[in-house]
Amino acid sequence: MSLRGIDFTALVLRDALDLAILVEEEAEERYREFSSQMDLHDTPDAAEFFRFMSRNEQKHGAELAARRRELFAGEPRVVTRAQLFDVEAPDYDATRAFMSPRAAMQVALRAEEKAYAFFVAALPHLRDAGVRALFEELRDEEVVHQDLVKIELGKIPPDPDVDPEDFTDEPLAQ
Amino acid sequence: MTTTTANTGHACAPGDYKSDLKPIWCPGCGDFGVLQCVYRALAAIGREAHEIAFVSGIGCSSRIPGYTTAYGFNSVHGRALPIAQGIKAANPDLLVLAAGGDGDGFSIGGGHLPHAVRRNMDITYIVMDNQIYGLTKGQLSPTSRHGRKTVTSPYGNLEEPVNPLMYVLAYGAPFVAQGTPADMPGLTAVIEEGIRYPGFAFVNVQSPCVTYGSEDQMIKAQKEILQPLSKMGHDAANRIAAMDLAQHYGKDLYTGVFYRNPVPPATYEALVRGLQASKQAGALPRERILDLFLQREPQDEEDGGSET
Amino acid sequence: MSKDLVIGMAGSGGDGIISAGESLIAAVALEGYHAIMTKSFGSQIRGGESSCRVRISTRPVLNPGGTLDAAVALNWDDFLKFGAELPVGGNTVVIYEAKSGVAPDKLPLVGVAPAEAIAVPIAELAKQTAGTDRAKNTVVLGLLAGWFGINGDAIVAGIRKRLAKKGVKVGDAAERSFKAGMTWAAEHPLAHELRLDPPEGQRGPKLLTDGNDMCAAAAIFAGCQFFGGYPITPSSEIMQFMSREIWKYGGALLQAEDEIAGVGAALGASFAGKKAMTATSGPGMSLKTEIIGLATIAELPLVIVNVQRGGPSTGMPTKSEQADLFQAAFSAHGDVVRPVLAPTTVADTFRITVDAFNIAERYQTPVIVLSDQEIAQRKETVDPIDTSKFRLEERRRPTAAEVEDYKRFRNTDSGISPVSHPGMPGGNYLGSGIEHNEHGDPTASGVMHARMNDKRFRKLEPLRHERNLFLVEGDPGAQLGLVSWGSSAGVCREVLVHAQAEGLRVKLLVPYLLYPVVEETYREFFASVRAGLVVEQSHQGQLYRILRMMIDVPACVQPFCRSGANPFRPREIVARLRELTLAMQRHGSNTRQPQE
Repeated sequence: MSLRGIDFTALVLRDALDLAILVEEEAEERYREFSSQMDLHDTPDAAEFFRFMSRNEQKHGAELAARRRELFAGEPRVVTRAQLFDVEAPDYDATRAFMSPRAAMQVALRAEEKAYAFFVAALPHLRDAGVRALFEELRDEEVVHQDLVKIELGKIPPDPDVDPEDFTDEPLAQ
Repeated sequence: MTTTTANTGHACAPGDYKSDLKPIWCPGCGDFGVLQCVYRALAAIGREAHEIAFVSGIGCSSRIPGYTTAYGFNSVHGRALPIAQGIKAANPDLLVLAAGGDGDGFSIGGGHLPHAVRRNMDITYIVMDNQIYGLTKGQLSPTSRHGRKTVTSPYGNLEEPVNPLMYVLAYGAPFVAQGTPADMPGLTAVIEEGIRYPGFAFVNVQSPCVTYGSEDQMIKAQKEILQPLSKMGHDAANRIAAMDLAQHYGKDLYTGVFYRNPVPPATYEALVRGLQASKQAGALPRERILDLFLQREPQDEEDGGSET
Repeated sequence: MSKDLVIGMAGSGGDGIISAGESLIAAVALEGYHAIMTKSFGSQIRGGESSCRVRISTRPVLNPGGTLDAAVALNWDDFLKFGAELPVGGNTVVIYEAKSGVAPDKLPLVGVAPAEAIAVPIAELAKQTAGTDRAKNTVVLGLLAGWFGINGDAIVAGIRKRLAKKGVKVGDAAERSFKAGMTWAAEHPLAHELRLDPPEGQRGPKLLTDGNDMCAAAAIFAGCQFFGGYPITPSSEIMQFMSREIWKYGGALLQAEDEIAGVGAALGASFAGKKAMTATSGPGMSLKTEIIGLATIAELPLVIVNVQRGGPSTGMPTKSEQADLFQAAFSAHGDVVRPVLAPTTVADTFRITVDAFNIAERYQTPVIVLSDQEIAQRKETVDPIDTSKFRLEERRRPTAAEVEDYKRFRNTDSGISPVSHPGMPGGNYLGSGIEHNEHGDPTASGVMHARMNDKRFRKLEPLRHERNLFLVEGDPGAQLGLVSWGSSAGVCREVLVHAQAEGLRVKLLVPYLLYPVVEETYREFFASVRAGLVVEQSHQGQLYRILRMMIDVPACVQPFCRSGANPFRPREIVARLRELTLAMQRHGSNTRQPQE
């Protein structure tokens, strides 16, 4: 994950909020894509979980957007998605056909950990107090999200010893 | 900074290039990353989707045009390059992309590659190189390692693989790069640069097959070993140095621009334009083209009779 | 005096025989005669045996003709290599090189005694007047001009033009040789009169060209903006013409690395919205099959010209045959159908090529034009063509309303869906070889596939009833029918003239549209015949076989076919018709009344 062309030392609150919104948006889209992949590949439990994550990201994004509107109504957005690369969005190679719900949750967990690491790494560079406060808040949010996922993980039984691939059909030539 | 189109001035976002068709690629396929980088690169360029033609052959990776909103043409195995060149020659103002896998490009399509390169139309050719035939269930590909066991080489591949980078450099391409979805910003950058480069641009992408690939080919493994050329002090204006590095294909994973001709050679379509401009002046109107076959009296003879 | 003369000349490649033929036909065209010139040669690129036939007539000529009226042999070894292509008969005047040392009554022609034989010191005359015996061909032209009464000025002017780049001295030498030939002819008149009647009608300018050039010119006229191709005998001239001309009209050309790339590029250009074509011969068609199938399912217009040559495989590249019809109609896997058209002369190659582009655009389909080597590479005089009479069609593009919620493969009533192209806002779609739904998305649904197949076949339905692409000639009340296509049709049209002269009642059906088969036209034609022949140059009689597939062909209609490089002569068909007429008379002629 990375951010391109962002000078953290000069980052102002409006742009920081916009970035945060975009981070959530990117993650939301990714989870939606993942749920779609899972649907197409007959992995409904993981699909459902990714849809759940997508809704979470959407909610967080909406909250941030509301705040942004309140504070900076009318000011155009100057940062773009082009400057973000999978900050909170899980990596593409994380999914697998027939993945268990546990594995899906672990994907989300790693993504949250990645996002946490991102905010932590950015903090020392931030000069603006408002931005610092925002990033600290976002960092802490990640911890909350991780806990949420861990709770979900706790609810489901451990993965069976057998690999689903042992039972599924061979891949088919197209 | 927002990006704008040359024509309309309205901003293009990666999402503008995403179609409604859901990719049928296996979850975890490297091509998902490639697709995302394509969206981003196109957004950075800022051309409207309807001005983009995206041609592919046959294979898993050849499905990619359908997942974009460009005018796509998912054609037949190995023939993306001729078709793409036809499109570009017919309308040089279009942004033309070609894509396919290593089999599509270096096996059945291998004969078209040197000519596409030397014709030098402004086309960007993205090959998703996963060293296997995924769509047809795991056969050897021209870039499969020697000794690789596949469904058609159960005792190990007897052949040495093709070196795509070396071939294209040797053919004389003005722009040769390699990327991987293990480094999305890097891949986006080379795709974007390839599109911007005024000439034939080749981007080899190490896009692993999650179903048939081996562990050492996966994104996780790639992240460990990839080395950006920009950090190796490589002079991308030096074709021989590029070829020296290209020899490492299959052993080391170098990413970034191998070669970029600092003096882009004239493109085919630019030369065609010149030819059209110089010939149009003396042209007979279309309705009178048969005048070329008129037998005239000797004293009426003007220049322009057809050769016997 | 004669209204029709066929002159055959043979020598070795270095003798300039073919240039002589070209000069001759150019001169007679200028005079206002109708003429056809064919050439034939061995497999060496230079210096092999070389021959040409020039048929000159006061009336339109439809085929290269039969037995020679005049035969010119610069050497006997080479002349004899051409066998039945240069048939000498009892009425032939044989003009040959005196240096061969052969006596006029001891010609090496088996079983034939020509009307007259003259030994001419051609090489000697050339040496004396031009300083080289390479000028033999100009001496020959002088002889022919002298004996046939053809205006020498036109020939000389033509020769000078051809030699212009080599300087005035060469032109002067050639003129001297020519005049020497004329003088010799004047001093040695033939016992057998060989003078041509003056041309009939107005002496107006004629067009003189071959089938390949005519095809290419027609394509430009029709609006072709892209040519992708690969050199192959006997079609390369089409690409060559395009490479000189297409730029002038804002078009582009690609000589690709192989046949597949050539047609692939043309298909790409069509996808990009331009009228596009390729041209090849049999082996190239085999390679292009897959892309032609792609064009079919992608529903893109594309004109593919196959200049048929001897097959199968490498076959006989310089000989004509009509054995690619099965391939044109049926090749490419899956349920495919595509229009196949065939010209019969250089003259109608113009119209058929324009039709091909129109049909391709109208139905968004590849269209195959089956020319053949004989038409493609023979020079023919053509009366001026009024291009203003031709209508040009464009593919149906979506209107602004249709581009809203655009479905590229919308299953309309006609089966033809408006087609966009890159650059058109809102018309973005995925073209593909994979089966698709109306939107263009890939599908594996049987229901959708059946619907799409139906659409692709249904859209061509109007062609199955297209009567305008047929020619019916001859005696409408005849009970004897001929069906023929391509270059063989030109022979059959002349057969009608001979038949009428003999009192044989014959009618002829020439399909320009070979596929899909317009069933009602054939049914109507066969309904009234008691005997018929399907005349074509293929071992299997491919059109005959296709007709048998599609309609009830009466048993009395039989194939009259043979392998290529054995062109039909009018006389042999007339002979067969005579036999059939006699047989019909013997079996009673009052069983079927002619349809009034």
